[in-house]
Amino acid sequence: MEFDLSFIDGGAWMKLKELSEKVGAKTYTEGRHYCLEVRGVCAGDRMSDLLVNASEKELLVTGLNNEQIILVSQLMDVPAVCLLNSTVPSEELIKKAEADGITIIVSPYGMFETCGRIYRCLFCGGE
Amino acid sequence: MITESYRIVGGNFERAGLASLRLKDRLKRIGVDSKLIRRIMIAAYEAEMNVVIHANSGNMWVRLDRGLIEIEVKDEGPGIPDIDQAMQEGFSTASPVARALGFGAGMGLPNIKRSSDIFKIETSVGQGTSIRSTIYLQLQDLHGSTRNSLSVKSELCNECLRCLHACPTGALRLRDGGPIILQHLCIDCTSCIDVCRTGALVVNYANNTISQPGNTSIVVPTAFFSQCGPDVSLHRVYEILMELGFRDVHPRGEWESALQKAVIQYANEEANVKPVISPVCPSVINLIETRFPSLIENLAPFLSPLQAALSVLDPKNTVVVAECPSQRSALLSRCTSAVEVMTPLALLQIVLPLLMRNAGKDNEKNRASPPSGRIIQPPSEVLQVSGIRSVMQILEKVENGLLCDVPVLEPYACGEGCFGSPLLLENPFYARYRSAPVHIDHYTLAKAVRRTYPFYPREGLRLDTDMTAAMKKLSKISELTRIFPGKDCGRCGAPTCSSLAEDIVMGRATREACIYLDCEKDGRR
Repeated sequence: MEFDLSFIDGGAWMKLKELSEKVGAKTYTEGRHYCLEVRGVCAGDRMSDLLVNASEKELLVTGLNNEQIILVSQLMDVPAVCLLNSTVPSEELIKKAEADGITIIVSPYGMFETCGRIYRCLFCGGE
Repeated sequence: MITESYRIVGGNFERAGLASLRLKDRLKRIGVDSKLIRRIMIAAYEAEMNVVIHANSGNMWVRLDRGLIEIEVKDEGPGIPDIDQAMQEGFSTASPVARALGFGAGMGLPNIKRSSDIFKIETSVGQGTSIRSTIYLQLQDLHGSTRNSLSVKSELCNECLRCLHACPTGALRLRDGGPIILQHLCIDCTSCIDVCRTGALVVNYANNTISQPGNTSIVVPTAFFSQCGPDVSLHRVYEILMELGFRDVHPRGEWESALQKAVIQYANEEANVKPVISPVCPSVINLIETRFPSLIENLAPFLSPLQAALSVLDPKNTVVVAECPSQRSALLSRCTSAVEVMTPLALLQIVLPLLMRNAGKDNEKNRASPPSGRIIQPPSEVLQVSGIRSVMQILEKVENGLLCDVPVLEPYACGEGCFGSPLLLENPFYARYRSAPVHIDHYTLAKAVRRTYPFYPREGLRLDTDMTAAMKKLSKISELTRIFPGKDCGRCGAPTCSSLAEDIVMGRATREACIYLDCEKDGRR
C-alpha cells in the first residue's frame, strides 16, 4: 500500500527531464534547469498573461515560437519553456536560450493534450 | 541616486525587451528583493513593448532614488485618443504582426498600473505618450541606513551626558568629546534635542529661504499657528502665510483628522487585533519597528499625515514645515528628494518681521474672537498618549495584551501631541490651549491614504544576521554586564552598563572605557 506523501512536500512534482520523456517532448536545449522539479505549469498564448503569471518554479507551456518568449523567461526567471505541435524553434531562439541556460522542449501535441499529459504525470502518477 | 536611460526602437521585435533586461541586471546587483524585481519588470517590459508595438521610437528613463524606482517611458508615437478605453482590459490596437507574436492582448496598460504604486499616463494624439510608473523599494542592504534626520555639532558639546540618558532606545554614545548617533537604533524622536542645552544636537535640515512661493503650496503643522503669542490670532498667521505668496496653505491638522477618521473606521470594520495603533507619528512607527516588532500588525496601514499630504500635493511645488525630524525622514524615505523641508523656526523668522511691520492691522474682530472649540477632544474610542516615556510604557502594555479594551491608540512621541516638539517655541500646553481647527474657505484636499507597502521590523536590535552567532553574542553581553558595576553612570560614553557590554561585543568600544573596572584592578575601590 502506498501513502500519498505529497502534502509533506507541498504538492506533486516531477523532474523536468523525466516529465519531458513521459510527455514525449523533444529537447532542444537542456539548459541549467533540466533537473528542475516541476511543480506546475503556466500555459498561455498571450504575452501579457505569461509575463504576469510565470514563476521560477513552473514550466511555461506556450505556442509562441518567437524570441520574445526567451526574453520574458529571462525577465521572470522562468527555468523552462515547452513549445507545442512539434514546431521547430528558430536558431536564434535556441542560441539565446542556450546563452541564458533556459531549457527548451517541444511537445508533439497541441496545448490541450500537452497540458493534459503533464497534469496526469504530476497529479495522477502518469497513468 | 542612479539615473539611466535606454533607447527603444519602434517596430524592432528582435531587440525588444533588452532595456528591461538591462534594468533587471542592475536591480539584481544592488540587492532589490526578487518579488519587487518581478513587479518592476512587468511594468518596464509592458511599457517598453508599448513603444515597440505602437511608436517609431522612444526612451526609457529609470531613476533609482532612496526607497523608490521611477520608470518613465516616453515615445514619439501616435498617442492615445481615449485613455479610459485604452486602460480597459482587453482593448488593444496592436498590429497583426504584434498579435502573431503574442502581444496585443490588451493587458499592457492595466498590467503596468497594477504593478505600480503610482501610475501616470499622459498622451496627446499625434505627439506621443508618456507613462510614468513609480514602485517603492525595500532595499535589503540599505535597509534602515537612511532614516535619520539628526546631526551632531561636536564642538558645542559639553559632555553633560543628558542626551545619553534621555534617549529611549539607547542610540547615543559619547565618544571623542561629542555625541555619536547609532543610526540603526535612532528613531528620530527629539528626546535628545529636548534635553540638550548647548545646541550640540540639531536637525539636519535648515532651509532658511523659500525659493519661489508663487507657485507652491505650504504644509504647516497645526501648532505653528499658535506660536506667535496672545496678540496674534490664528487667522492672522494664516493671512501672513498667504501674503507671502503661497498658492495654498495647508495645516497638517487637516490630514491628521482625516487619518483619525480613517483609522477609527479601519478599527471598526477591518482590524482583527486590538488596539489599532494609528501611524500618526513617524517616530513612534520607528520605535515600534525597532523595539516592538510584534506590534507591527497593530499598526493601521496608512501613510503618515505628511506623507499623505505629499501624495496628494505635488512634491515639487510644496514646501513642508516639519517640527520634527521623523516627519522629514519618513517623507524622504518614500518620497522624491525634491521636497523642500524647513523648520518651524526658519518659517517663524520669515513670518515675524511681516507681523511686526503690519502690527496693529490685525482687525479687532479676529483678535477678540476666542479660539473656538479650543480643547480638541479626541473621539471616545481613541486613546491619545503623548511623550516618549508614556508611549513606551503603553506599548509594553499592548505587547502584554493589557490594553485590549481600547479600539484605537494614538501615540505621539512628543508631549501634548505635536505641540511639545522641542523645535517649537511656545509652551505646549498654552499652544494647544490657543489652538483651534483653522477654518479655511478652500475645499480641503485632506484624506487618509493607504500604504501600499507594509511596515517592516528594523534590524536595529539584532546582534547578528546569523541566529547562532547572535545567541553567542548575547550570552557574552550578559556575561560582561555582570562584571560592570551596574551604576549606569554614562561615564564610559554608553548610557548603561549593558549597552557598554553590547558595544564591546560588537566591537564599538573596549573594556577600558569603564572607569570602575580600572579602580578595581588597582585595588582602590
